Amino acid sequence: MENQPSPKKFLYWFDPRHRQPGTWAFILNRITALGLTFYLVLHLVVLSNLTKGAEGYDTFLEFARQPVVKFGELLVIAAGLIHGLNGLRVVLTTFGIGVTIQRQVFWMLMALAAIGTAAFAYVMFFVA
Amino acid sequence: MAASTPKAREGAWLWLVKIIAGVLILVVLGVHFVMNHMVAPGGLLTYADVVRYYQIPYVVAMEIIFLVTVVTHSFIGLRSILLDLNPSEPILKAATALLSVAGVAAVAYGAWLIFTIAGRG
Amino acid sequence: MSHERWTVTFIVSRRKGEQPPHFQSFQLEVDPDEYVLDGVERIWAFHDRSLVFRHACHHSTCGACGMLVNGVEKLTCITPIRSVTSNGGKVKVEPLRNFPVISDLSVDMSTFYTRMEETCAPQVVPVRGSALPYEKGLFEQADPAYERLADCIECGCCISACPVAVTTPEYQGPAVLAAAQQAFSLTGHAGLLEKMDGADGVWRCHSGFECTAVCPSNVDPAWRIMDLRRKVIGRRIKRLFGLAK
Ligand code: SF4
Ligand code: SF4
Ligand code: FES
Repeated sequence: MENQPSPKKFLYWFDPRHRQPGTWAFILNRITALGLTFYLVLHLVVLSNLTKGAEGYDTFLEFARQPVVKFGELLVIAAGLIHGLNGLRVVLTTFGIGVTIQRQVFWMLMALAAIGTAAFAYVMFFVA
Repeated sequence: MAASTPKAREGAWLWLVKIIAGVLILVVLGVHFVMNHMVAPGGLLTYADVVRYYQIPYVVAMEIIFLVTVVTHSFIGLRSILLDLNPSEPILKAATALLSVAGVAAVAYGAWLIFTIAGRG
Repeated sequence: MSHERWTVTFIVSRRKGEQPPHFQSFQLEVDPDEYVLDGVERIWAFHDRSLVFRHACHHSTCGACGMLVNGVEKLTCITPIRSVTSNGGKVKVEPLRNFPVISDLSVDMSTFYTRMEETCAPQVVPVRGSALPYEKGLFEQADPAYERLADCIECGCCISACPVAVTTPEYQGPAVLAAAQQAFSLTGHAGLLEKMDGADGVWRCHSGFECTAVCPSNVDPAWRIMDLRRKVIGRRIKRLFGLAK
Protein backbone atom coordinates (compact mmCIF):
# COMPACT_ATOMS: atom_id res chain seq x y z
CA MET A 1 0.00 0.00 0.00
CA GLU A 2 1.28 3.44 -0.93
CA ASN A 3 2.18 5.51 2.08
CA GLN A 4 0.74 8.84 0.97
CA PRO A 5 -2.79 10.04 1.70
CA SER A 6 -5.51 8.85 -0.66
CA PRO A 7 -9.31 8.92 -0.62
CA LYS A 8 -9.14 5.18 -1.32
CA LYS A 9 -7.91 4.70 2.21
CA PHE A 10 -11.22 5.78 3.75
CA LEU A 11 -11.57 2.41 5.49
CA TYR A 12 -8.68 3.46 7.71
CA TRP A 13 -11.06 5.95 9.32
CA PHE A 14 -12.79 2.99 10.91
CA ASP A 15 -9.67 1.25 12.20
CA PRO A 16 -9.76 1.65 16.00
CA ARG A 17 -6.35 0.05 16.66
CA HIS A 18 -3.78 2.21 18.46
CA ARG A 19 -6.28 5.03 18.51
CA GLN A 20 -7.40 7.48 21.17
CA PRO A 21 -10.95 7.85 22.51
CA GLY A 22 -11.22 10.92 20.28
CA THR A 23 -10.91 8.74 17.20
CA TRP A 24 -13.28 6.14 18.59
CA ALA A 25 -15.71 9.03 18.99
CA PHE A 26 -15.06 10.01 15.38
CA ILE A 27 -15.63 6.44 14.19
CA LEU A 28 -18.87 6.18 16.16
CA ASN A 29 -20.00 9.53 14.86
CA ARG A 30 -19.34 8.68 11.26
CA ILE A 31 -21.12 5.33 11.43
CA THR A 32 -24.12 6.74 13.29
CA ALA A 33 -24.22 9.73 10.90
CA LEU A 34 -24.53 7.44 7.90
CA GLY A 35 -27.01 5.20 9.72
CA LEU A 36 -29.20 8.06 10.84
CA THR A 37 -29.21 9.65 7.40
CA PHE A 38 -30.29 6.34 5.92
CA TYR A 39 -33.02 6.13 8.55
CA LEU A 40 -34.15 9.69 7.77
CA VAL A 41 -34.74 8.78 4.14
CA LEU A 42 -36.44 5.52 5.11
CA HIS A 43 -38.61 7.29 7.65
CA LEU A 44 -39.80 9.88 5.15
CA VAL A 45 -40.66 7.18 2.64
CA VAL A 46 -42.46 4.99 5.17
CA LEU A 47 -44.50 7.87 6.53
CA SER A 48 -46.18 8.25 3.17
CA ASN A 49 -48.34 5.42 4.51
CA LEU A 50 -50.03 8.07 6.62
CA THR A 51 -51.58 9.64 3.56
CA LYS A 52 -53.25 6.35 2.70
CA GLY A 53 -55.73 6.90 5.48
CA ALA A 54 -56.68 4.89 8.53
CA GLU A 55 -56.52 1.42 7.08
CA GLY A 56 -53.13 1.62 5.42
CA TYR A 57 -51.53 3.23 8.42
CA ASP A 58 -52.97 0.89 11.00
CA THR A 59 -51.71 -2.12 9.05
CA PHE A 60 -48.34 -0.45 9.01
CA LEU A 61 -48.45 0.12 12.77
CA GLU A 62 -49.29 -3.55 13.24
CA PHE A 63 -46.11 -4.35 11.35
CA ALA A 64 -44.14 -1.84 13.43
CA ARG A 65 -45.04 -3.69 16.62
CA GLN A 66 -42.95 -6.70 15.65
CA PRO A 67 -39.90 -7.21 17.91
CA VAL A 68 -37.48 -6.96 14.96
CA VAL A 69 -38.81 -3.56 14.00
CA LYS A 70 -38.72 -2.48 17.63
CA PHE A 71 -35.11 -3.55 17.84
CA GLY A 72 -34.37 -1.50 14.74
CA GLU A 73 -36.01 1.47 16.43
CA LEU A 74 -33.84 0.91 19.46
CA LEU A 75 -30.76 1.01 17.22
CA VAL A 76 -31.91 4.36 15.86
CA ILE A 77 -32.37 5.69 19.39
CA ALA A 78 -28.92 4.46 20.40
CA ALA A 79 -27.36 5.99 17.29
CA GLY A 80 -29.16 9.27 17.94
CA LEU A 81 -27.94 9.38 21.54
CA ILE A 82 -24.36 8.53 20.60
CA HIS A 83 -24.26 11.00 17.73
CA GLY A 84 -26.01 13.77 19.62
CA LEU A 85 -23.95 13.50 22.79
CA ASN A 86 -20.72 13.10 20.85
CA GLY A 87 -21.63 16.12 18.81
CA LEU A 88 -21.98 18.02 22.05
CA ARG A 89 -18.38 17.14 22.86
CA VAL A 90 -17.21 18.53 19.51
CA VAL A 91 -19.14 21.75 20.12
CA LEU A 92 -17.80 22.09 23.65
CA THR A 93 -14.17 21.52 22.66
CA THR A 94 -14.48 23.95 19.74
CA PHE A 95 -15.72 26.62 22.09
CA GLY A 96 -12.94 25.92 24.53
CA ILE A 97 -14.86 23.97 27.16
CA GLY A 98 -13.27 20.83 28.55
CA VAL A 99 -10.57 20.63 25.88
CA THR A 100 -7.98 19.22 28.26
CA ILE A 101 -10.43 16.69 29.73
CA GLN A 102 -12.09 15.69 26.43
CA ARG A 103 -11.30 12.01 27.06
CA GLN A 104 -13.19 11.98 30.34
CA VAL A 105 -16.01 13.98 28.75
CA PHE A 106 -16.22 11.34 26.01
CA TRP A 107 -16.54 8.46 28.48
CA MET A 108 -19.08 10.35 30.52
CA LEU A 109 -21.27 11.14 27.52
CA MET A 110 -21.04 7.58 26.20
CA ALA A 111 -22.07 6.27 29.62
CA LEU A 112 -25.09 8.59 29.38
CA ALA A 113 -25.87 7.22 25.90
CA ALA A 114 -25.70 3.65 27.24
CA ILE A 115 -27.97 4.46 30.17
CA GLY A 116 -30.41 6.25 27.87
CA THR A 117 -30.51 3.33 25.46
CA ALA A 118 -31.06 0.86 28.29
CA ALA A 119 -33.92 2.97 29.64
CA PHE A 120 -35.58 3.11 26.23
CA ALA A 121 -35.11 -0.63 25.77
CA TYR A 122 -36.75 -1.31 29.11
CA VAL A 123 -39.76 0.86 28.32
CA MET A 124 -40.13 -0.45 24.77
CA PHE A 125 -39.88 -4.14 25.52
CA PHE A 126 -41.20 -4.50 29.05
CA VAL A 127 -43.58 -1.62 29.72
CA ALA A 128 -45.22 -0.61 26.45
CA MET B 1 8.06 23.36 -4.38
CA ALA B 2 5.07 25.43 -3.29
CA ALA B 3 2.34 23.76 -1.32
CA SER B 4 -1.13 24.31 -2.75
CA THR B 5 -3.27 26.98 -1.11
CA PRO B 6 -5.95 25.52 1.13
CA LYS B 7 -9.32 25.44 -0.60
CA ALA B 8 -12.25 27.28 1.00
CA ARG B 9 -15.16 24.94 0.20
CA GLU B 10 -16.46 24.78 3.76
CA GLY B 11 -16.14 27.92 5.82
CA ALA B 12 -17.04 29.05 9.29
CA TRP B 13 -20.65 29.90 8.38
CA LEU B 14 -21.51 26.55 6.86
CA TRP B 15 -19.88 24.81 9.79
CA LEU B 16 -21.80 26.99 12.24
CA VAL B 17 -25.10 26.29 10.47
CA LYS B 18 -24.41 22.55 10.79
CA ILE B 19 -23.54 22.89 14.46
CA ILE B 20 -26.46 25.17 15.34
CA ALA B 21 -28.85 22.82 13.53
CA GLY B 22 -27.31 19.95 15.49
CA VAL B 23 -27.82 21.68 18.83
CA LEU B 24 -31.39 22.63 17.85
CA ILE B 25 -32.13 18.99 17.08
CA LEU B 26 -31.06 18.05 20.60
CA VAL B 27 -33.20 20.82 22.11
CA VAL B 28 -36.28 19.99 20.00
CA LEU B 29 -35.92 16.28 20.76
CA GLY B 30 -35.72 17.01 24.47
CA VAL B 31 -38.80 19.25 24.47
CA HIS B 32 -40.64 16.88 22.15
CA PHE B 33 -39.95 13.95 24.41
CA VAL B 34 -41.25 15.65 27.53
CA MET B 35 -44.30 17.17 25.80
CA ASN B 36 -45.21 13.90 24.15
CA HIS B 37 -45.44 12.28 27.51
CA MET B 38 -47.98 14.85 28.57
CA VAL B 39 -49.95 15.01 25.31
CA ALA B 40 -50.03 11.33 24.44
CA PRO B 41 -48.91 9.32 27.48
CA GLY B 42 -49.65 5.95 25.91
CA GLY B 43 -48.02 6.70 22.55
CA LEU B 44 -49.69 7.13 19.17
CA LEU B 45 -51.16 3.72 18.55
CA THR B 46 -53.72 4.29 15.82
CA TYR B 47 -54.18 6.47 12.78
CA ALA B 48 -56.91 8.43 14.59
CA ASP B 49 -54.43 9.12 17.41
CA VAL B 50 -51.95 10.55 14.95
CA VAL B 51 -54.49 12.80 13.28
CA ARG B 52 -55.73 14.07 16.65
CA TYR B 53 -52.14 14.66 17.72
CA TYR B 54 -51.48 16.80 14.67
CA GLN B 55 -54.32 19.15 15.57
CA ILE B 56 -52.08 20.67 18.24
CA PRO B 57 -50.31 23.69 16.71
CA TYR B 58 -47.23 23.17 18.89
CA VAL B 59 -46.81 19.67 17.46
CA VAL B 60 -46.92 20.93 13.90
CA ALA B 61 -44.39 23.67 14.70
CA MET B 62 -42.04 21.21 16.38
CA GLU B 63 -42.28 18.77 13.51
CA ILE B 64 -41.47 21.49 10.99
CA ILE B 65 -38.47 22.74 12.96
CA PHE B 66 -37.29 19.18 13.43
CA LEU B 67 -37.67 18.39 9.75
CA VAL B 68 -35.71 21.44 8.64
CA THR B 69 -32.89 21.06 11.17
CA VAL B 70 -32.46 17.33 10.65
CA VAL B 71 -32.34 17.61 6.87
CA THR B 72 -29.97 20.59 7.04
CA HIS B 73 -27.64 18.94 9.52
CA SER B 74 -27.50 15.59 7.78
CA PHE B 75 -27.06 16.97 4.28
CA ILE B 76 -24.30 19.41 5.22
CA GLY B 77 -22.81 16.49 7.15
CA LEU B 78 -22.85 14.26 4.08
CA ARG B 79 -21.05 16.99 2.18
CA SER B 80 -18.44 17.17 4.95
CA ILE B 81 -17.81 13.44 4.65
CA LEU B 82 -17.32 13.92 0.94
CA LEU B 83 -14.88 16.76 1.65
CA ASP B 84 -12.81 14.37 3.76
CA LEU B 85 -12.25 12.47 0.53
CA ASN B 86 -10.76 15.51 -1.22
CA PRO B 87 -13.16 15.45 -4.20
CA SER B 88 -12.38 17.22 -7.47
CA GLU B 89 -14.12 20.53 -8.12
CA PRO B 90 -16.74 19.14 -10.58
CA ILE B 91 -17.63 16.26 -8.27
CA LEU B 92 -18.04 18.58 -5.30
CA LYS B 93 -20.14 21.01 -7.37
CA ALA B 94 -22.40 18.20 -8.55
CA ALA B 95 -22.74 16.81 -5.04
CA THR B 96 -23.52 20.24 -3.59
CA ALA B 97 -26.22 20.80 -6.23
CA LEU B 98 -27.67 17.33 -5.70
CA LEU B 99 -27.71 17.67 -1.91
CA SER B 100 -29.30 21.13 -2.08
CA VAL B 101 -32.06 19.95 -4.41
CA ALA B 102 -32.63 16.75 -2.42
CA GLY B 103 -32.65 18.74 0.82
CA VAL B 104 -35.26 21.21 -0.40
CA ALA B 105 -37.32 18.36 -1.85
CA ALA B 106 -37.17 16.41 1.42
CA VAL B 107 -38.32 19.44 3.42
CA ALA B 108 -41.11 20.19 0.95
CA TYR B 109 -42.28 16.58 0.96
CA GLY B 110 -42.11 16.37 4.76
CA ALA B 111 -44.02 19.62 5.18
CA TRP B 112 -46.66 18.44 2.72
CA LEU B 113 -47.05 15.23 4.74
CA ILE B 114 -47.42 17.12 8.00
CA PHE B 115 -50.04 19.51 6.62
CA THR B 116 -51.94 16.73 4.86
CA ILE B 117 -52.35 14.84 8.11
CA ALA B 118 -53.12 17.98 10.08
CA GLY B 119 -55.76 18.89 7.50
CA ARG B 120 -57.69 15.67 8.09
CA GLY B 121 -58.76 16.57 11.61
CA MET C 1 21.59 3.11 32.54
CA SER C 2 20.83 -0.30 33.89
CA HIS C 3 22.91 -3.37 33.14
CA GLU C 4 19.91 -5.36 32.09
CA ARG C 5 20.11 -7.11 28.74
CA TRP C 6 17.07 -7.84 26.63
CA THR C 7 16.76 -9.78 23.43
CA VAL C 8 14.26 -8.09 21.15
CA THR C 9 13.27 -8.54 17.52
CA PHE C 10 13.19 -5.41 15.42
CA ILE C 11 10.79 -5.83 12.52
CA VAL C 12 11.75 -3.14 10.07
CA SER C 13 9.78 -1.94 7.08
CA ARG C 14 11.98 -1.99 3.96
CA ARG C 15 11.23 -0.35 0.70
CA LYS C 16 13.43 0.65 -2.20
CA GLY C 17 12.20 2.58 -5.20
CA GLU C 18 8.92 1.35 -6.62
CA GLN C 19 9.14 -2.07 -4.98
CA PRO C 20 6.31 -2.97 -2.63
CA PRO C 21 7.34 -2.66 1.03
CA HIS C 22 8.20 -5.76 3.05
CA PHE C 23 9.34 -6.44 6.59
CA GLN C 24 12.75 -7.66 7.64
CA SER C 25 13.52 -8.98 11.12
CA PHE C 26 16.68 -8.40 13.13
CA GLN C 27 17.36 -9.89 16.50
CA LEU C 28 19.24 -7.53 18.78
CA GLU C 29 20.60 -7.66 22.25
CA VAL C 30 19.82 -4.34 23.87
CA ASP C 31 19.78 -2.49 27.13
CA PRO C 32 16.07 -1.77 27.65
CA ASP C 33 16.89 1.80 28.57
CA GLU C 34 18.42 2.41 25.17
CA TYR C 35 16.20 4.18 22.70
CA VAL C 36 14.45 2.71 19.68
CA LEU C 37 16.65 4.84 17.42
CA ASP C 38 19.74 3.22 18.97
CA GLY C 39 18.40 -0.14 17.87
CA VAL C 40 17.72 1.08 14.33
CA GLU C 41 21.17 2.60 14.18
CA ARG C 42 22.74 -0.65 15.35
CA ILE C 43 20.97 -2.55 12.60
CA TRP C 44 22.45 -0.11 10.10
CA ALA C 45 25.91 -0.29 11.69
CA PHE C 46 26.24 -4.05 12.14
CA HIS C 47 23.61 -5.78 10.01
CA ASP C 48 22.62 -3.86 6.92
CA ARG C 49 24.34 -0.76 5.63
CA SER C 50 21.62 -0.16 3.09
CA LEU C 51 19.01 0.70 5.74
CA VAL C 52 17.82 4.28 5.23
CA PHE C 53 16.44 6.34 8.10
CA ARG C 54 16.62 9.93 9.28
CA HIS C 55 18.22 11.18 12.45
CA ALA C 56 20.48 13.96 13.56
CA CYS C 57 20.37 15.41 17.03
CA HIS C 58 19.47 12.36 19.15
CA HIS C 59 17.88 14.63 21.74
CA SER C 60 14.40 15.53 20.46
CA THR C 61 15.39 18.80 18.85
CA CYS C 62 15.74 18.26 15.11
CA GLY C 63 12.52 16.30 14.61
CA ALA C 64 14.10 13.97 12.06
CA CYS C 65 13.54 10.61 13.74
CA GLY C 66 9.75 10.28 13.83
CA MET C 67 8.66 6.72 12.99
CA LEU C 68 5.80 4.37 13.60
CA VAL C 69 6.79 2.10 16.49
CA ASN C 70 4.44 -0.82 17.10
CA GLY C 71 1.77 1.13 15.28
CA VAL C 72 2.16 4.40 17.17
CA GLU C 73 4.03 7.56 16.15
CA LYS C 74 7.16 8.01 18.25
CA LEU C 75 10.14 10.28 18.25
CA THR C 76 12.49 7.32 18.29
CA CYS C 77 15.48 9.10 19.83
CA ILE C 78 13.63 9.61 23.10
CA THR C 79 11.52 6.45 23.12
CA PRO C 80 13.06 3.88 25.47
CA ILE C 81 12.84 0.32 24.18
CA ARG C 82 11.43 -0.55 27.61
CA SER C 83 8.38 1.61 26.93
CA VAL C 84 7.35 -0.18 23.75
CA THR C 85 8.12 -3.86 24.32
CA SER C 86 9.30 -6.44 26.84
CA ASN C 87 12.20 -8.87 27.00
CA GLY C 88 11.85 -11.30 24.10
CA GLY C 89 9.30 -9.01 22.49
CA LYS C 90 8.98 -7.28 19.15
CA VAL C 91 9.59 -3.73 18.01
CA LYS C 92 7.92 -3.05 14.71
CA VAL C 93 9.39 0.01 13.01
CA GLU C 94 7.67 1.64 10.03
CA PRO C 95 7.92 4.99 8.26
CA LEU C 96 5.50 7.75 9.29
CA ARG C 97 2.11 7.49 7.62
CA ASN C 98 0.65 10.01 5.18
CA PHE C 99 4.00 10.97 3.65
CA PRO C 100 5.52 9.43 0.51
CA VAL C 101 8.31 6.99 1.34
CA ILE C 102 11.72 7.92 -0.05
CA SER C 103 13.45 4.75 1.09
CA ASP C 104 12.87 2.34 3.98
CA LEU C 105 12.07 4.47 7.01
CA SER C 106 12.61 7.92 5.58
CA VAL C 107 9.73 9.92 4.16
CA ASP C 108 9.39 13.03 2.02
CA MET C 109 8.21 15.89 4.22
CA SER C 110 8.85 18.73 1.76
CA THR C 111 5.18 19.70 1.29
CA PHE C 112 4.75 19.74 5.04
CA TYR C 113 7.81 21.96 5.51
CA THR C 114 6.58 24.34 2.81
CA ARG C 115 3.23 24.62 4.52
CA MET C 116 4.93 25.28 7.84
CA GLU C 117 6.96 28.04 6.23
CA GLU C 118 3.88 29.55 4.62
CA THR C 119 2.33 30.17 8.04
CA CYS C 120 5.33 32.42 8.80
CA ALA C 121 5.29 31.03 12.33
CA PRO C 122 8.23 32.44 14.26
CA GLN C 123 10.90 29.87 15.11
CA VAL C 124 11.83 31.88 18.18
CA VAL C 125 9.14 33.12 20.55
CA PRO C 126 9.13 35.22 23.73
CA VAL C 127 9.36 32.91 26.72
CA ARG C 128 6.58 34.77 28.46
CA GLY C 129 3.34 33.73 26.85
CA SER C 130 4.87 30.73 25.13
CA ALA C 131 3.12 28.26 27.42
CA LEU C 132 -0.34 26.92 26.65
CA PRO C 133 -2.99 28.92 28.54
CA TYR C 134 -4.00 25.93 30.65
CA GLU C 135 -0.44 25.50 31.93
CA LYS C 136 -1.21 27.88 34.74
CA GLY C 137 1.54 30.23 35.77
CA LEU C 138 4.24 28.67 33.62
CA PHE C 139 6.75 31.28 32.40
CA GLU C 140 4.57 34.08 33.71
CA GLN C 141 7.43 35.67 35.60
CA ALA C 142 9.88 35.40 32.71
CA ASP C 143 11.81 38.48 31.68
CA PRO C 144 10.01 39.90 28.59
CA ALA C 145 13.34 40.04 26.80
CA TYR C 146 13.92 36.29 27.03
CA GLU C 147 13.18 34.16 24.01
CA ARG C 148 13.21 30.47 23.25
CA LEU C 149 12.69 28.11 20.34
CA ALA C 150 9.06 27.42 19.47
CA ASP C 151 7.87 24.04 20.71
CA CYS C 152 7.11 22.41 17.37
CA ILE C 153 10.11 20.49 16.03
CA GLU C 154 8.35 19.66 12.75
CA CYS C 155 8.67 15.93 13.27
CA GLY C 156 5.44 15.18 11.40
CA CYS C 157 4.21 12.67 14.01
CA CYS C 158 0.89 14.51 14.31
CA ILE C 159 0.26 14.46 10.54
CA SER C 160 1.01 10.76 10.55
CA ALA C 161 -1.49 10.10 13.33
CA CYS C 162 -4.29 12.25 11.94
CA PRO C 163 -7.27 10.25 10.61
CA VAL C 164 -8.18 13.07 8.24
CA ALA C 165 -4.73 13.29 6.69
CA VAL C 166 -5.15 9.62 5.71
CA THR C 167 -7.63 10.47 2.99
CA THR C 168 -6.84 14.01 1.94
CA PRO C 169 -3.35 15.24 1.10
CA GLU C 170 -4.77 18.76 0.86
CA TYR C 171 -5.59 19.01 4.56
CA GLN C 172 -3.11 21.43 6.09
CA GLY C 173 -2.76 19.16 9.08
CA PRO C 174 -2.35 19.61 12.82
CA ALA C 175 1.20 21.02 13.00
CA VAL C 176 0.51 23.59 10.29
CA LEU C 177 -2.75 24.72 11.88
CA ALA C 178 -1.01 24.87 15.26
CA ALA C 179 1.72 26.99 13.70
CA ALA C 180 -0.89 29.30 12.21
CA GLN C 181 -2.52 29.61 15.62
CA GLN C 182 0.76 30.48 17.29
CA ALA C 183 1.74 32.88 14.52
CA PHE C 184 -1.63 34.62 14.72
CA SER C 185 -1.40 34.90 18.50
CA LEU C 186 1.97 36.61 18.17
CA THR C 187 1.43 38.74 15.07
CA GLY C 188 -2.33 39.24 14.76
CA HIS C 189 -1.95 38.76 11.01
CA ALA C 190 -5.57 38.28 9.89
CA GLY C 191 -4.61 36.72 6.57
CA LEU C 192 -3.79 33.53 8.48
CA LEU C 193 -7.37 33.27 9.73
CA GLU C 194 -8.73 33.74 6.22
CA LYS C 195 -6.36 31.13 4.87
CA MET C 196 -7.29 28.48 7.43
CA ASP C 197 -11.05 29.19 7.32
CA GLY C 198 -11.86 26.46 4.84
CA ALA C 199 -12.30 22.79 4.08
CA ASP C 200 -8.55 22.19 4.03
CA GLY C 201 -8.10 24.24 7.19
CA VAL C 202 -9.66 24.22 10.66
CA TRP C 203 -13.03 22.79 9.62
CA ARG C 204 -11.66 19.47 8.42
CA CYS C 205 -10.53 18.42 11.91
CA HIS C 206 -12.69 15.86 13.75
CA SER C 207 -11.54 16.59 17.27
CA GLY C 208 -9.92 13.18 17.47
CA PHE C 209 -6.97 14.53 19.47
CA GLU C 210 -4.63 11.94 17.96
CA CYS C 211 -2.18 14.70 17.11
CA THR C 212 -2.04 15.90 20.69
CA ALA C 213 -1.59 12.34 21.93
CA VAL C 214 1.49 11.68 19.80
CA CYS C 215 3.13 15.11 19.84
CA PRO C 216 6.46 14.67 21.60
CA SER C 217 6.95 18.38 22.13
CA ASN C 218 3.95 19.69 24.06
CA VAL C 219 2.54 21.65 21.13
CA ASP C 220 -0.99 20.32 21.74
CA PRO C 221 -2.04 20.88 18.12
CA ALA C 222 -5.68 19.90 18.74
CA TRP C 223 -6.02 22.51 21.48
CA ARG C 224 -4.54 25.08 19.13
CA ILE C 225 -6.90 24.07 16.30
CA MET C 226 -9.88 24.55 18.60
CA ASP C 227 -8.49 27.94 19.59
CA LEU C 228 -7.93 28.88 15.96
CA ARG C 229 -11.54 27.96 15.18
CA ARG C 230 -12.75 30.41 17.79
CA LYS C 231 -10.49 33.08 16.35
CA VAL C 232 -11.80 32.39 12.84
CA ILE C 233 -15.44 32.50 13.97
CA GLY C 234 -14.75 35.63 16.02
CA ARG C 235 -13.33 37.40 13.00
CA ARG C 236 -16.24 36.30 10.79
CA ILE C 237 -18.73 37.69 13.27
CA LYS C 238 -16.82 40.95 13.58
CA ARG C 239 -16.75 41.27 9.81
CA LEU C 240 -20.48 40.64 9.67
CA PHE C 241 -20.99 43.68 11.85
CA GLY C 242 -18.41 45.69 9.98
CA LEU C 243 -15.98 45.74 12.89
CA ALA C 244 -13.11 44.24 10.89
CA LYS C 245 -12.35 44.28 7.23
S1 SF4 D 1 -7.63 16.48 16.34
FE1 SF4 D 1 -7.91 17.11 14.22
S2 SF4 D 1 -5.87 17.53 13.45
FE2 SF4 D 1 -5.63 16.36 15.34
S3 SF4 D 1 -5.44 14.26 14.66
FE3 SF4 D 1 -7.59 14.62 15.07
S4 SF4 D 1 -8.51 15.25 13.13
FE4 SF4 D 1 -6.28 15.42 12.93
S1 SF4 E 1 3.06 19.61 16.44
FE1 SF4 E 1 4.19 18.12 17.64
S2 SF4 E 1 3.94 16.19 16.52
FE2 SF4 E 1 3.40 17.82 15.12
S3 SF4 E 1 5.24 18.28 13.98
FE3 SF4 E 1 5.18 19.69 15.72
S4 SF4 E 1 6.32 18.66 17.34
FE4 SF4 E 1 5.86 17.11 15.81
S1 FES F 1 17.13 12.60 16.15
FE1 FES F 1 16.63 14.70 16.34
S2 FES F 1 14.66 14.57 17.22
FE2 FES F 1 15.24 12.50 17.19
